[in-house]
Amino acid sequence: MQLYLPIAEIPVNIFVIFGMGGTVGFLSGLFGIGGGFLLTPLLIFSGIPPAVAVATVTTQIVASSTSGVIAYWRQKAIDLKLAFVLLCSGVIGSALGVWLFGILQRLGQLDLVISLSYVTFLGSIGGLMLVESIKAMMRRRSGDAPVARKPGQHSWVHGLPMKMRFRRSKLYVSVFPIFAIGSIIGFLGSVLGIGGGFMMVPALIYLLRVPTSIVIGTSLLQILVTMSAATIMHSYNTQTVDIVLALTLMIGGVIGAQLGARIGQKLRGEQLRLLLALLVLGVGLRFAVNLVLEPEDPYSVVVVDGENA
Amino acid sequence: MHMLASFLCLISLFSLSIISARAESLVSAISSPTVSITSNFTGADILVFGEVNRDAASVARANDNELIVVVEGPPERMTTWRKERLAGIWINATSSTYAGVPSFYAVHASTPLTVVAGEQTLKEQRIGLQNLPLAPIASGEMTRNERKVFRDALIRKREEIGLFVEKSEAIKFLSPTLFATNVELPSNIAVGEYTITTYLFNGQVLLHQQQQKLHIAKEGFEQHTFSLSRQQPLLYGILAVALALFTGWLAGIIFRKD
Repeated sequence: MQLYLPIAEIPVNIFVIFGMGGTVGFLSGLFGIGGGFLLTPLLIFSGIPPAVAVATVTTQIVASSTSGVIAYWRQKAIDLKLAFVLLCSGVIGSALGVWLFGILQRLGQLDLVISLSYVTFLGSIGGLMLVESIKAMMRRRSGDAPVARKPGQHSWVHGLPMKMRFRRSKLYVSVFPIFAIGSIIGFLGSVLGIGGGFMMVPALIYLLRVPTSIVIGTSLLQILVTMSAATIMHSYNTQTVDIVLALTLMIGGVIGAQLGARIGQKLRGEQLRLLLALLVLGVGLRFAVNLVLEPEDPYSVVVVDGENA
Repeated sequence: MHMLASFLCLISLFSLSIISARAESLVSAISSPTVSITSNFTGADILVFGEVNRDAASVARANDNELIVVVEGPPERMTTWRKERLAGIWINATSSTYAGVPSFYAVHASTPLTVVAGEQTLKEQRIGLQNLPLAPIASGEMTRNERKVFRDALIRKREEIGLFVEKSEAIKFLSPTLFATNVELPSNIAVGEYTITTYLFNGQVLLHQQQQKLHIAKEGFEQHTFSLSRQQPLLYGILAVALALFTGWLAGIIFRKD
C-alpha cells in the first residue's frame, strides 16, 4: 500500500516503513538503545531525502523514549538534577546542530557531513564496544572475575572546578564534563538524527561514574527532552519533519521494541554487546564504502528552491 | 510568451490573407484541469486530445499533419553537483546552478521531433529537452565544454526520475483529424500551475498552437499538513512532539507488564 508523504513529497510503501520501524524497534528493545543511528541510515538508503530522514527520526525517538521514561520514573530510577543539567546543555547543543544543519543544507554538503560523522562515530564506538565485549567473553571463558571499580578511585574529570552535588547518583562533580557530554550529544543528535543513548550511557558510566541503575532512566529523560526540542527546532528552521512518516515509524517502533525487550532478557550481556558492536560497525562501514568507492554517477541534482525560483 | 503567441497569431492571420491555404486549426483539451495529490497519490495520467479542423478553404496537402504536445511544470532553481575525489573520499566538489528550470517537462510528438519541425523552429519555440533555455547562474569560470557536461547531466538526472520526458511517435491519430496522447505525471511531481501546449505542424511549418492550464495541488490532509508546516512551523513542531509523547505513553500502557 502506497502512502504519499506530505513533507518528503514522495510516496512510500507503508508496510516497508512500518517494517523498518519495527525492525529498528526490535533491535532497540533488544539492546536497550534508541536506534536512531540505525533508523536514519535505513531511511536514507531507502530514498527518503537525508534532511527529512534526520529531522523525522528525532520525532520518532521522542515516542520511543517516552514509555521508557515513564517506566523508570515509576521506579524512581532517574536523577532529575543530573538530567536537568544534561538537557539544558543538550538543548543548546541541538540548537547549534539545527543551525549548522540549515547551513550545510544550503551549501550542498549535508550528505557528506552526515556520512563522515556516521563513519567516525559508529566506527570508533563500534570498535570500542567490540574490543570490550570480546575481552569480557574471554574473561568469562578463562573464569577470571571482571576488574571491579575500586571505591574512591578518581579520574582527571573529578579534578575540575565548579562542582555540583547530585544526591540521587551519589556524585560530586564539576558541571563542565556534564555540560560537554550533554551539548555534544545534543549537537550530534540534531545533525545526525540519533538520540545518542549509545554514547550517553557509556560516557555517564565511565567518565562520571554515575551508578548503572540511574544511568538509563536519566539518559532516556535527557534524550526525550533534547529530541523534543530538536523536533520543534527542525520544524521551525528547516521544515523537514514529516509527521506521517514519523507516525508510521513510531507505531512500528513501539511494537518492535516490546518484542525485542522480551527476547533481550534471554540473552547474555556480553553476547548482546558483541552483536550490537557488529551492528554499529556494519552501519559505519556501509557509509564508509559509499564515501570511498567511486560513485556510479558522480552527478546529482538538487532542487534548491521549489516555490519561488 | 504572450507577446510571442500574439505575434504568431498575427503571422498566421497575415499568411491567411495572402494564401488562404493555412486554414487548419487546432482544438485541444485535457482530460482534467486539476490533479489532486491525496494520501494515496502514486502519479497520474493526463490525456491530451483534440481535433485538427479543416475548413472549405483548406487545400489538400502533400504532407501529413504532425503534432507536438509539451507539458511544462512550474519553474524551480536547481543545482547540479559533481562528486570529485578529495583525500580519498568522494565529495560534491563542483556545481552549476540554474534558475527557472521547469520542475516537469514532457514532450510528446507524433514522429521524431526533428522530422516534425526544423532545428531553428524547435529552438525558437523551446521544444525538446535540448532546447530548454538552461543558463547557469554563478557557475564561475567554467569552460563551454564543462557547461555542456553539467547541463546534460541535469537533463539526464531529471530523465532518470521521470520528470523530463521526450517521446516521439507518442501521439496517436484516431482518425485523420482526431488525436490523443497520454502524459504520465510521476508521483514525485511538484505542485503548481502547469501549461500544456499543443502545436500543429505541416511540412515543418507551424500552423497553429493551443494552450491549456493544469493545476496540480495537494488536497485534504496532505494539503493541511503541508501548509501547517510552512505557515505555522512552531505549532507544527509542538504537534509533532505531542503526537510522539502520546504514542509513547499509549504504548507504555498497552504493553505494561503487571
